[in-house]
Amino acid sequence: MNPNQLTIESVQEILLREKYVCDRALATVVYLSLVMGKPLLLEGEAGVGKTEIAKVLAKVLETKLIRLQCYEGLDANTALYEWNYPKQMLRIKLEEVEHGDKQQVETEIFSQDYLIKRPLLEAIQSNGANAPVLLIDEIDRADMEFEAFLLEVLSDFQITIPELGTIAAKHRPLVFLTSNRTREIHDALKRRCLYHWIEYPSFEKEYEIITTKFPEVEGKMAQQICAFMQKVREMNFYKRPGVAETLDWASALIALNRKNLDDKTVIETMGCVFKYREDLHHLREQVDGRQLNLDALLKMSPEMVS
Amino acid sequence: MEVTPETVAAAVSSVSSARGKGTLPNVMAFARALKELGVKVSLSQVLDASRSVEHVELAEKADFRMLLRANMISQKEDFPAFDMLFDCFWRELSYERVPMETMRIEGTPTESQAPEGGDEEGGLEEAFAETLAKENLQLENLEEFSVPTYSPQELMNRKDFSEMGVEESRAIARAILLIATKIATQISRRKKLGRKGNTVDPRWTMRRSMKYGGEIVDLVHRKKRIKKTKVVLLCDVSGSMDCYSRFLIQFMYGLQNELWGVETFVFSTSLSRITHLIRTKDIVNALEKISGSILGWSGGTNIGRSLHTFNRNFAPSMVTHRTVVVIISDGWDRGDVSVLEREMQDLKRRCKKIIWLNPLLASENYEPLCKGMQAALPYLDLFLSVHNVNSLVALGRTLQKMVA
Repeated sequence: MNPNQLTIESVQEILLREKYVCDRALATVVYLSLVMGKPLLLEGEAGVGKTEIAKVLAKVLETKLIRLQCYEGLDANTALYEWNYPKQMLRIKLEEVEHGDKQQVETEIFSQDYLIKRPLLEAIQSNGANAPVLLIDEIDRADMEFEAFLLEVLSDFQITIPELGTIAAKHRPLVFLTSNRTREIHDALKRRCLYHWIEYPSFEKEYEIITTKFPEVEGKMAQQICAFMQKVREMNFYKRPGVAETLDWASALIALNRKNLDDKTVIETMGCVFKYREDLHHLREQVDGRQLNLDALLKMSPEMVS
Repeated sequence: MEVTPETVAAAVSSVSSARGKGTLPNVMAFARALKELGVKVSLSQVLDASRSVEHVELAEKADFRMLLRANMISQKEDFPAFDMLFDCFWRELSYERVPMETMRIEGTPTESQAPEGGDEEGGLEEAFAETLAKENLQLENLEEFSVPTYSPQELMNRKDFSEMGVEESRAIARAILLIATKIATQISRRKKLGRKGNTVDPRWTMRRSMKYGGEIVDLVHRKKRIKKTKVVLLCDVSGSMDCYSRFLIQFMYGLQNELWGVETFVFSTSLSRITHLIRTKDIVNALEKISGSILGWSGGTNIGRSLHTFNRNFAPSMVTHRTVVVIISDGWDRGDVSVLEREMQDLKRRCKKIIWLNPLLASENYEPLCKGMQAALPYLDLFLSVHNVNSLVALGRTLQKMVA
């Protein structure tokens, strides 16, 4: 699909076709990122679908998704390229036995065949029909030094390998960066990017997400799930559940063949929503102490149903 | 700077002269108004914003809002300021009445913007750059001072730090800088290549072996990088800490300016982040800013609530298993002790170490009897005194060991 023929509506529509529900604000930003060729920095709480949108986009644009998962200590060697040392060494040993031309060996072992492409080089060298989607996931986990390096790559989309020369991108990759905000991203990098903060979904949006992903869930139960999730997100938990948890829970309930949520089911399946012992304990306390009235919450007021 | 309808209106009116017909001057004026509200916007962002205008239907105000926001704002904390300004700014212009053609970037620029002849795109950018450079100059001259908001519950005081004893404060500043520099150099040493170390670096081993015809003679190792530990400072500035607060502010300032990755907060009945206020190298200015903008300086204390705010809003993004949290307080707490205890427990789980600095600890007959202090004690890794320069030196050493 050609990015130039897109509109905000069509972005929203093609994402929905792949079961990604996105509001107009997010669609606008994604659309702008596609047409302007500017990287998009997505922030938001864990599990609101930051990574997912890049995956889905790669799918609908029929292009390759290249993912670079960041972690502390990630360096250029792991992100960009590395020479295949064992292969190089074997080649040298072989030539020693056969008394080959040393000069030639050296040029050969520093050729493309001996190069291990890491995600960034792969994105730049990609020769598919469409520009690939490059997902740089959890950039906040990488070191500051890596960020500076990334800045350089993202500004001209070309890489210089001393032994080979400069490699420039054939298609400018569509770049998505995600961050969980474990630290602030440097201003210089932010300035190169469009920015969007993905909120927890509203009741309506979450309902749409559940029914889109799991058409077999009954409307009433989907509403109950949403009402519960909306409520607990307002409460004080160590780790507030995201959309990923909602979907986990919904699929668990489907597997259990439940058609209706009652307080017993909620307590039984809470492991899908809360992943910390303290949080489970806290929920228990709230329910037992009547601060959280499950019955009333699950029955719901009529205007919520409408 | 506090963003209120008044300051927004003031920002809009202050740039009204720069506004004209068409998108360009207006987008630029908008960016300038954003700057007045204390939001950082760079030239390239403004350029990109106005370039991207052609991609959306401008009649859709919501889309236009997202366009400007995605381009100009890069942290969610600035969203409220942006939204208020957007509503105020584009309403005043009566957004819908501006003819579509003039809103588009490729439409004829107004006379003042268009350089005669020349390529349009380039000319446009130049015009942009010039105007913005001028604006930047003006803005720099216009030093901003934050206006504190008023809250009846908290005893508000504008502390004048310039009253600080000159000799005393200089000695402290020197001592602090020394300690802070030591700590900083200790932990920012980078990963180095060397003959000793615990991992082999194949890249360099291979490289070195070339001169022996591919025979590996030297193994090149990579030394483990000493991890830069983040430090979070939470400083009590309530009434009971009054005689120490000047001293503490010096400490926070010194540490933050020498160390990479320090976040600084002050709290009394509520918590405020002051990292950005003391990022400057100019201490006098920094002190003025802080005394001007902190709510409840010298008021009462609610450690539990302040910690709760911290744990909820800041800890997820700032505290990792490598973070040392330093709390500076005397532990006199007027809040709910059970809250304090729970929040300490929560914090303890997130971070590497909690150090509590208590200025009262130095006095001979002090025992941590007050309820707040007792509740916190089980969760502390270190309980130290900070009452003079010597105690700070001791603290510096401890921190050094801890983060090395």
